[in-house]
Amino acid sequence: MAPAPSYLLPLLQLSDSALPTGAFSHSLGMESHLHEGIVHDEDSFANWLTQFIRIQLVHSDGLAIRFVYDGETQAQLFRVDRELHAAALPREIREAGVKMGARMLHIAGSIFPCTELEDYAAAVGAGECAGHPALAFAIAGKNLGVPLEELLTTYLFSTVTSLTQNAIRGIPLGQNAGQRVLVAAHREVRDGVVRIQTLGREDFGVTAPGLEIAQMQHERQRARMFMS
Amino acid sequence: MTTAVAGGAADAAAGGGPAFPRSLPGQSAAGGPGLLDASSRNTGSATQGTAQIHTNRAVGRLGTPSAWAGTLSLDIDRRAGRSIALKQFHDGALRILRPHYLDDSGQVCYVVINPGGAYLGGDKYLIEVAVADGAELLLTTQSATKIYRTPNDRAEQHMHLSLGAGARLELLPDPLIAYREASYGQVTQVEMDSTASLVMAEVVTPGWSPNGELFRYDEVRLRNEISIGGRLTVLDNLLIRPGSGSPVDSSAFMREYTHLGSLIVVDARVDQALVDELHTLMAPLDPAGQLGITLLDGPGLAVRALSNSTETLNEMIAATVDLLRGRWYSQKPLNLRKY
Repeated sequence: MAPAPSYLLPLLQLSDSALPTGAFSHSLGMESHLHEGIVHDEDSFANWLTQFIRIQLVHSDGLAIRFVYDGETQAQLFRVDRELHAAALPREIREAGVKMGARMLHIAGSIFPCTELEDYAAAVGAGECAGHPALAFAIAGKNLGVPLEELLTTYLFSTVTSLTQNAIRGIPLGQNAGQRVLVAAHREVRDGVVRIQTLGREDFGVTAPGLEIAQMQHERQRARMFMS
Repeated sequence: MTTAVAGGAADAAAGGGPAFPRSLPGQSAAGGPGLLDASSRNTGSATQGTAQIHTNRAVGRLGTPSAWAGTLSLDIDRRAGRSIALKQFHDGALRILRPHYLDDSGQVCYVVINPGGAYLGGDKYLIEVAVADGAELLLTTQSATKIYRTPNDRAEQHMHLSLGAGARLELLPDPLIAYREASYGQVTQVEMDSTASLVMAEVVTPGWSPNGELFRYDEVRLRNEISIGGRLTVLDNLLIRPGSGSPVDSSAFMREYTHLGSLIVVDARVDQALVDELHTLMAPLDPAGQLGITLLDGPGLAVRALSNSTETLNEMIAATVDLLRGRWYSQKPLNLRKY
């Protein structure tokens, strides 16, 4: 029997939904739709999640991971960081990326220390880069030797799990309903990973107006459970 | 000017080619039949009133005019308190009207026209505008940009805008109307000084069929890349595919709305208080619609609005544009249709 790949345990640890990146306090626009009543039960949340995967996770986080994975130079990494940050027009989404990026960098650096992570952290500290959890995750995964498809699948599903946990608390949903949503998301995540590998430069950071508006409106929502 | 039209900064990242790959050759030598053709046709605009038209300018900055369905190049500078065109060039299916001065502020207004009336499949348009230090330009269009059916190849518009120190550009085109089976890609690259001021608006609507139904276009992509002092600050990349289901099904996130309004301001005077004030100003104008406004790095602000009416979106954008004109420049509300 072949032993499990050496990257498996660090990857499991990095993708644990209990990883203290602060993801539990970011709904990434979902709370605005919750407030409006568009998201109100298992089915409506599952629909929201599907759209979120297809838009933001595929075109921003996922594509950024692929570009970093395929990139060879630090300049390419820094450019992806800049584009990803600039593509987040809603202020709370930019701030979420910076906050969770700093935490992910710190955690990834402790789980799997490598020069590339240290250099990226230094650039974030110096203000040269903004930081983003997807990029810290991509650097760690690449240096661990995780194949791209596995890295993308893990990141997407980890984010989907965090958002579902937030929905369980926010809507609220039962734990069993949450698990059903996650099972149903398997296919979207698989399709998303395939899609990410077919996209080009013009697709990076693509978003949809309704999602952006929800993410912007969240700034003005009075009673909030989430920071975004 | 720091980059080539569609290459340069955005392409340096990992992974690839230009945002919109196309067949533009590199810098072409001056001369050749294309240039002569362009120059002779250009005499039309020279008679329209701008004093210093260089009809024989080299087209290196634009590439080969014949690679495009239409090209337009405009250099604005400031002379004796007034902004004027130092150079202008056009070729193919783009023209520009003589300049207007809408008030005594010195800001010049140019109107772009598309004599063909519409963008067709495979058409690629290029517009380059440079606003020099301290110069002020209002650039608009004579009528809506219509995108008809594009069966094989989408229509594209590429804009490259550069703003010097203290320069000001208001880019306020008429709505973009996309008809059935239309695909359109628009890339606007802005390279601006940190002391320059940019206001750019866009309204996207579906066309109406003869029997009064709204057409469902295939796809509209609007990409704005704004760099301040060479640093990419805003990458605004919208994709609208009405009711497609994949990969970005806007039917869920655009919901029942058919019309999109977008406004971006990049200006050092923008702060959160202004964002809040503009929200209060715009929100009551379309209670049935959806409005989002947010503070950008830069600083600046972005507005997104969904509606079922072009007029409503135009009113919201005009309210913001007019507030900024009054507050920052003591200008009166804009009325482009009085001329």
